[in-house]
Amino acid sequence: MSEPVIRSEKLTRTYSMGESVITALREADLTIHAGEFIALMGASGSGKSTLLNLLGLLDRATSGEYFLEGKPVSSLRRDELADLRGRRIGFIFQNFNLLPRLSAWENVALPLAYRKGEFAVQDQIDRAREALTRVHLENRAEHNPMELSGGERQRVAIARALITQPAVILADEPTGNLDSKTGVEILRLLKELNEEGRTIIVVTHDMNVAQYAGRVYHMLDGTLYESELPHVAA
Amino acid sequence: MKASYRMSLLDLLRTALRSVSANKLRAALTMLGVVIGVASVIAMLALGNGARAAVDATFQSLGANQIQIGQRFTMQDGELQPTGKTLTFSDGLDMLTSVPLIERVEMSASKTVKARFGKNTVEINVTGTTADALDGIVSSGDVQPVGWNSDAPISAESLLADGRFFSTDEVFAGAPVCVLGYQTALDLFSGDNPIGETIWIDRTRCLVIGVAVELESTDVQQRYRSDPNEGLLMPISTVIQTLYDEEPSVYMVVHAKDAERIDEAKEQIKEYLRARHQIEQDADGNYQDDFDMTTRNDILGQQQEAAQTFSLLLTAMATVSLLVGGIGIMNVMMVSVTERTREIGVRLAVGAKQKDIVSQFLLESILISASGGLAGIVLGILAIPLAAALNQGVALLYPGSIPLAFGVAVLIGIVFGLYPAIRAARLDPIEALRYE
Repeated sequence: MSEPVIRSEKLTRTYSMGESVITALREADLTIHAGEFIALMGASGSGKSTLLNLLGLLDRATSGEYFLEGKPVSSLRRDELADLRGRRIGFIFQNFNLLPRLSAWENVALPLAYRKGEFAVQDQIDRAREALTRVHLENRAEHNPMELSGGERQRVAIARALITQPAVILADEPTGNLDSKTGVEILRLLKELNEEGRTIIVVTHDMNVAQYAGRVYHMLDGTLYESELPHVAA
Repeated sequence: MKASYRMSLLDLLRTALRSVSANKLRAALTMLGVVIGVASVIAMLALGNGARAAVDATFQSLGANQIQIGQRFTMQDGELQPTGKTLTFSDGLDMLTSVPLIERVEMSASKTVKARFGKNTVEINVTGTTADALDGIVSSGDVQPVGWNSDAPISAESLLADGRFFSTDEVFAGAPVCVLGYQTALDLFSGDNPIGETIWIDRTRCLVIGVAVELESTDVQQRYRSDPNEGLLMPISTVIQTLYDEEPSVYMVVHAKDAERIDEAKEQIKEYLRARHQIEQDADGNYQDDFDMTTRNDILGQQQEAAQTFSLLLTAMATVSLLVGGIGIMNVMMVSVTERTREIGVRLAVGAKQKDIVSQFLLESILISASGGLAGIVLGILAIPLAAALNQGVALLYPGSIPLAFGVAVLIGIVFGLYPAIRAARLDPIEALRYE
C-alpha cells in the first residue's frame, strides 16, 4: 500500500493551566490514505479541534509524531510549517473566514498570493476562476462575500481550499452555520470532490454528516477511537 | 518569475491601500501629527536657507576686507542716543595714515535738505562722500543702472549719465559742487540740462557737475522701500562745513589691505580710535567704546544666531509632532491589528509567513505616514511666507527639504509601524482564527 497521506504516532497535546496540566489529545494513532473521506466526531471539548489543529499544522504536538505525506513535521520551523500548510492543506471553516474586503476570486486566490514568484497574476485569476467553476460560482467571481448567501460563501471557501490541490482538505463543522438544505448541498459537494480523488476530513458533531464519510473516528476526553459507521451504530 | 514577484508587491500595496481607505477619517486624523511635523521640517529648513541667502546677500554688499564704523548709539530715556565723542571726518582722514593695515577710508554723512532751482523745490537727502563714492557704490552691489545686463561688470563711470564726479582735491577743498540723482535732476530741472547750473541747498549755493543714470536696487524686495534716484551727492567736507552747525558724526567703510588680517586691522583701528577719543580702561578693565565696528563675519554671526533660535523652536515642534504622529500611527495600527485578528488568522492558515504579515501591516503604516508626509510638504510650502513673517522676512524653500521630509515621514511609518506589525505576525493562528 502506498504511503498514507496522514499518519500519527502517539500524537499528544497538553496545556498547562497554572499548576494543572490538561491533556487535550492523548497518544492518538491515526492513518488516513489518499482519497478517503473521514468524519471526526465528538462532543465539544472532546479534543477534536485540538487534533484538527495539529493535522492542519496550526499547532505543534507536545509529544508523538505526525507524518504528512510521509514527512515528519515536528522539527519544522514556524515559517516552514506555514509554507507546507499553504501548499498541502486546505481549510474549510464553520464561519467561512472569507476576507470581507476581497472579492470572491481574490479570496480564492489568496493561498497562491503567498507563494512568491510561483503564480503570475493572470495565472492566479485563471486558477481562481477554475476553482469557482468547480463549485458552480463562476458568475459570482467579482462579488464581495457580503453580497453572497451563506451557502455561496462556504462554496467560495471550498474553492479556496481546492485551489492549491492540497494533500488533504480539513473541514471544521462546514455545515454548522448553514440551514439543513444548504448544509446537505455543501456535503454533497464535498462528497463529489472526494469521489474525484480529494482526501477530506470533516470535523462535526452532526451524525448526518458522518453518513457521507467512508470511515468515522470518534473523540472522547482526548482519546481517539475508530468507530463503526454511524448508521450501523445507530 | 521576477515580474510576478513585483506584482505581488503591487498586490500588497493594493491591499494596504484598500484597508487604509476603508477607514479614511481615522487615517486622516492619524496623519495629522506627521503632517504638522513634516510641515515644520520644511519651514525650519526654509528659514535656515533664507538666513543663508540673506547672509550671502550681505556678503555682496560688505566685502570680505571691509569694516563698517559708526558712532555707537545706546538707549537712553527710551531713545537711541549717540554716546561719547563724535566720529569725525578728521578721525577718518588721520586713520589712513595712523593705521598701517588699511588702504582706504570711505566716509559719508547724510542730511535732509531743501534743494531749489528756480521755482522748483524738493526735500531730499544730501550725502556727503569722499571722491571714491562711486567705487563704493559699485563694490556694494546694492544698485545697478535700470535694465543692466547682470552678467556685465558695472564701472564707476557707467553710473553717470552726464558730467563728472567730484575729485579728491574738491573734497579736501570743500568745493561747492554736487552730483544729482536721476529723479532729483528731473524734479529740479524738468528735463533741461542741469550741468553748469547753480542750485540752492538750504542757504548754500552749489554747482551741478554731474547727473547719475537711472538706478534700481539689485534686490527686488528693496525696490519699493527706497528710491536710489532721489538725492544728491556732495563732497563730505562741503556738507560738514556748510550744512551742519556742529561737527556731524560720519559713517565709514574702511578697506583693510588684506582680508586675511581683517581682525588685526580691526584691533589697530580700535586702539587708534580709543587713543583719539581718550577712552580709558575702567575699574573693571573694560573700555566704554563710543563707536561700533562691523565686518562680514559679525553679520554672519548675527544672522545665524537669529535663524538658529527660530530653527531650534521649529526643530522642537517638528520633533514633538513627529513623535506624537508616530505614536498615533502606532496606536491606530494596534487597533487595526486587533480588529483584523481573524483576517490575520486566515492569512496564516492559507500559508502566509511571518514576514508576509509584517510587510502587510508595515506597508499600511508607511502608507499613512507617507500620505501625511505629502500633505505636510504641501502645508509646509504654504506656511513658508508665515515663517518668513515671523523671522523678519527671511525664508526660502530649500529644495532638498522635500525628499528629506518625505524620507522622515516614511521612516516614522517604519519605526512606529514595526511593533504592531511584528505583533500581528506573532499571533497564534489558532487563537486568531477563533477571535470574535
